[in-house]
Amino acid sequence: MMERNSYYLNGVGIISPQLTFDNPVAITEVQQYDQNILKCVTPDFKTLINPIQLRRLSRFLRIGLSAAIICLKNAKAEGADGIITATGYGFLDDQAKFLNELLQQQEQQVTPTNFTQSTYNALGGLVALHVKCQGYNSTYVSKGFAFETALLDAMMQLQEVNTKHFLVGSFDESDEAHYRINGRLGGYYKVEHVSSLSLYDSQTPGFLQGEGAAFFMVAAHPTDQTWCVLKDLKMLYQPDRHELTATLSTFLEQNGLREADVEVLINGASGDRDDDQKINEVSDVLFPHAVHLKFKHLSGEYCTSSSFAVWIGASTLKNQRIPIHAQVNSVSTPSSINNVLIVNQYMNKNYTFILLQRVP
Amino acid sequence: MIQRVFVTGIGIITSIGKNVEENFQSLVDGRSGIGNPEVLKTVHWETIPVCEVKLTDEALFKLAGISEGQSFTRTATLGLVAAQEAVASAGLTRSEINDSAFISATSTGGIRELEKYFFDLQGEKMDGPWQEFRDTACPGEHAEHIADFLGIKKYIGTVSTACSSSANAIIMGARMIRHQHIDRAICGGAESLSRFSLNGFNSLFILDKGHCKPFDETRQGLNLGEGAAYLILESERSVAASGRKPFAELKGFGNANDAFHLTASSPEGAGALKSMHEALQTSNIDHSQVGYINAHGTATENNDLSEGLAIQKIFEGAAPYFSSTKPFTGHTLAAAGSVEAVFSILALQRQVAFPNLNFSKPMKELAITPLTKLVRQARISYVLSNSFGFGGNTSSLLLGQVG
Repeated sequence: MMERNSYYLNGVGIISPQLTFDNPVAITEVQQYDQNILKCVTPDFKTLINPIQLRRLSRFLRIGLSAAIICLKNAKAEGADGIITATGYGFLDDQAKFLNELLQQQEQQVTPTNFTQSTYNALGGLVALHVKCQGYNSTYVSKGFAFETALLDAMMQLQEVNTKHFLVGSFDESDEAHYRINGRLGGYYKVEHVSSLSLYDSQTPGFLQGEGAAFFMVAAHPTDQTWCVLKDLKMLYQPDRHELTATLSTFLEQNGLREADVEVLINGASGDRDDDQKINEVSDVLFPHAVHLKFKHLSGEYCTSSSFAVWIGASTLKNQRIPIHAQVNSVSTPSSINNVLIVNQYMNKNYTFILLQRVP
Repeated sequence: MIQRVFVTGIGIITSIGKNVEENFQSLVDGRSGIGNPEVLKTVHWETIPVCEVKLTDEALFKLAGISEGQSFTRTATLGLVAAQEAVASAGLTRSEINDSAFISATSTGGIRELEKYFFDLQGEKMDGPWQEFRDTACPGEHAEHIADFLGIKKYIGTVSTACSSSANAIIMGARMIRHQHIDRAICGGAESLSRFSLNGFNSLFILDKGHCKPFDETRQGLNLGEGAAYLILESERSVAASGRKPFAELKGFGNANDAFHLTASSPEGAGALKSMHEALQTSNIDHSQVGYINAHGTATENNDLSEGLAIQKIFEGAAPYFSSTKPFTGHTLAAAGSVEAVFSILALQRQVAFPNLNFSKPMKELAITPLTKLVRQARISYVLSNSFGFGGNTSSLLLGQVG
């Protein structure tokens, strides 16, 4: 294997169901949701996007573009050398609108707006247009691996040319049609209404429908704006418990760490009684001394929700402060936080690890 | 050490054939796959021609070796047919398959099934034939489905950058091999026709109601197509270990963005220029060494102008053989990049350059014209394959003979 380089998150822009878009410290207060659907708390778009352009954009293109603009500002950057986006389901609302239109009108007099805005790479293209970036541009749509694949792509390219800066973003929107279909048929969303703040007490199948858009400026060198080091990541498809544990230990070892070095563990349990079994067990067995955080009661579940965890991890490392609304065990805050490990699962199929470290 | 990347297997299904040999024969015979949609049920069946795979879903299941009720969408089934051919042509062993990455592209995934059952799924009934397709429109779904069937666990990725998608899937696979994350990747894309994309493109007024005419002054737009194609990419160390004889080498690639308009390319083809330039540069090859260009050539007014001007500029007015094979297969959207990568490999391997059907009148803005007749004994050492798309995405692959 090639030498393991370090990468840096030099800017963050995140819009989520919590107040995150202008908050330098993650989750100092909490929004509660009672209807199983979590929707973004949005900034005043007019302060970020010009009104003519704003009118033409769907809700989630507004959210996605705003997150990218906030990230650029936070990174004190004018642009980027490449733009890589990730999504599980893309623009579900535009897709459903276009489907409704073409089916109800029997394929007659159909208008193109929802069609073109439903393309998975529409946000990547829009951000490129906004910052006039003619460099690398790609969009990954691999369910619970999409965001990690986007990060991996940026990391490999930074290994090739270490002077570049990549804007890496994720987006997924909650959508009524998807909720109606998959809520009533079971297996995805919780059947009964669960308050987001008591998600992990529910002990029932299903999760909450979440959404969010997050952008990170990823580079091979730190700046004054750096949040944390992006050390390494790993994707694992349908592992059994043994494979999950073994791969996780190897992953830490390859990065020169032991389990005890991880001060903060971010566990991507979704609140689904069955899907969470493995991840909870591995967290408890391997990391008994770490501060345990969970986040899907704050973000809801979506394919690229690990980007929300990266934001929590980045804030924890930069501010050296545990977001107490995310903590689920009673381990006291360590005197210094150097290693944050995110272990995520999406529908008990896509497992991912992301290792973040404090800037030396 | 950066690993070189070789192509050791190919597989394809399009409207001109359900495997590599059938596709090659149609290309050589000048046989297009265009006609009225028959398998896809649409009100536009008499007015909008398409390049359709003339097999029902059931016939495709049989071809892929699966049975009904396994939740395979048409997109995933087309993908499985092509992926299995690619695996067989490379002669991958069971353990080599398990140890491969699968990186697939699609622009609409299983939307064909979602549009069929959209209202049933939201109705009152709890079960029906639609139950298994409740969530197959998710674009990552087809890749997991195919990978599960093939027994791939190592890594699964899905790319969606509109019409350049599968070229980007190939680029990602190649990059992962170069960086030694993996030794082998099955990369490509799959796309079925759907009312969703048919009506979407129709609402943009870019569909030709006759046969599409790439790079022709009188071009009217594109014809949609369906299909799938995959390449087996292998690292040089893996090739050395297996003793497999590669079909071609993926010498380099380029990826850029036009950053001009969401659904139109810049008139001067800035993105196209950049991606072709990058492909040449990363391959360390001079433009004069390129023997054939498989152009994106959708036959829309916009694409052919910007791509044509960009080719003219890069090749300093003296372009090699170039053609768009979309009059044969239609525009297979996300699958186009890998479909045309397979054609490019065939051009290298069998030393032929394919004609650009339906061309008669040169564009007034261009001094170069596409190839109109098949050329045999073409002396091609390197092929450039372009794939561009909505969102400004432009990608180019450079494939070479194995020296």
